[in-house]
Amino acid sequence: MKRVVVEKKILERNDESAKKIREILKNKGVFALNFMASPGAGKTTIIEKTIEALKDNYRISYIDGDLDTDRDASRIKKLGIDVVQINTSGACHLDADMVLKALKQVSLDCDILIIENVGNLVCPATFDVGANKNVVILSVPEGDDKVKKYPVMFNVADVVLLNKIDLLKFLDFDVEKVKKELKEINPDADFIEVSAKEGYGLDRWFEYLKNLIANSSLL
Amino acid sequence: MHEGAIAESIVDILKQVMDDNNLKRIVRVRLKIGKMSGVMIDALLFALEALRSEEDVISQTAFDIVETDVKAKCNICGEFYEYSDVSEVVMLCKKCGMPLDIIEGKEMEIVDVEGE
Ligand SMILES: Nc1nc2c(ncn2[C@@H]2O[C@H](COP(=O)(O)OP(=O)(O)O)[C@@H](O)[C@H]2O)c(=O)[nH]1
Ligand SMILES: [Mg+2]
Ligand SMILES: [Zn+2]
Repeated sequence: MKRVVVEKKILERNDESAKKIREILKNKGVFALNFMASPGAGKTTIIEKTIEALKDNYRISYIDGDLDTDRDASRIKKLGIDVVQINTSGACHLDADMVLKALKQVSLDCDILIIENVGNLVCPATFDVGANKNVVILSVPEGDDKVKKYPVMFNVADVVLLNKIDLLKFLDFDVEKVKKELKEINPDADFIEVSAKEGYGLDRWFEYLKNLIANSSLL
Repeated sequence: MHEGAIAESIVDILKQVMDDNNLKRIVRVRLKIGKMSGVMIDALLFALEALRSEEDVISQTAFDIVETDVKAKCNICGEFYEYSDVSEVVMLCKKCGMPLDIIEGKEMEIVDVEGE
């Protein structure tokens, strides 16, 4: 019997592909966002509003990884944006190889690449997909206990958007608790409250995003 | 259940290890899984078990999983923190309020294998 020291990362292959994605995007001058949230939290709605607000000044492409229907992709296509649909066929997350493949089909003559991950607060957190920033959306109806329940996801967030704040008046939801728990699990994450439906807070998010992009192009 | 994808990655690496070291079978594999890696041990063992019948490389393999606590350190004052429960993790120093650096607890690694 022989003992072999391996000491290899299990997701080494995924990490290598994610690195390739970063190189491709960097060469093209593309800034990529990975949107993660539960199903129904408002990923597609926020993405639509973001595209509407920014498309006159930025060229935007979109990769849709949210389940097998093309409902989201066709919503975004209506905005005149180049869209690629990843057929995740039941997968619970996107991985870097899926995104790498999609990059061959999507227009990279753009400034911003938006990736809508599979609706799930657990699985996508484990797989680096090569984006510059992770945007995690939490929506008010999901409850104010989600940060502590899904610490791995909130730990990988660069920015958390609290969506559907128009519903705060109907529900017992403690925004301060969410802020405090987010600070504990991820002190560096930014936090913005929005209502994609009513438009509250969206300007702050757009400004925040423009700043991120401006700062990244200085690097 | 992303543990299925993790299990497949483990099998892919083990095939490579087998080739590189001229092993005919692998009897034991040691894995190190951090408590903040996002992997549930039971689900991973279940996924590996499900792959056993279709992947010869692990047909007779025992998996030992070492689960690591979350360890973090303050770069300002040097204070060290260890959490055995992820829901308790606080990444802020209690003494100086500064963000902590994570030292361990996010890894997912194949440590070593035994085979012949
Ligand atoms: N009340 C309210 N509903 C919203 C808001 N944002 C999205 N929704 C609704 O939530 C549902 C799911 O939104 P969608 O963007 O498809 O979520 P996704 O599954 O995360 O992509 C839709 O019916 C949206 O109209 C919001 O700010 N307030
Ligand atoms: Mg969607
Ligand atoms: Zn300190």
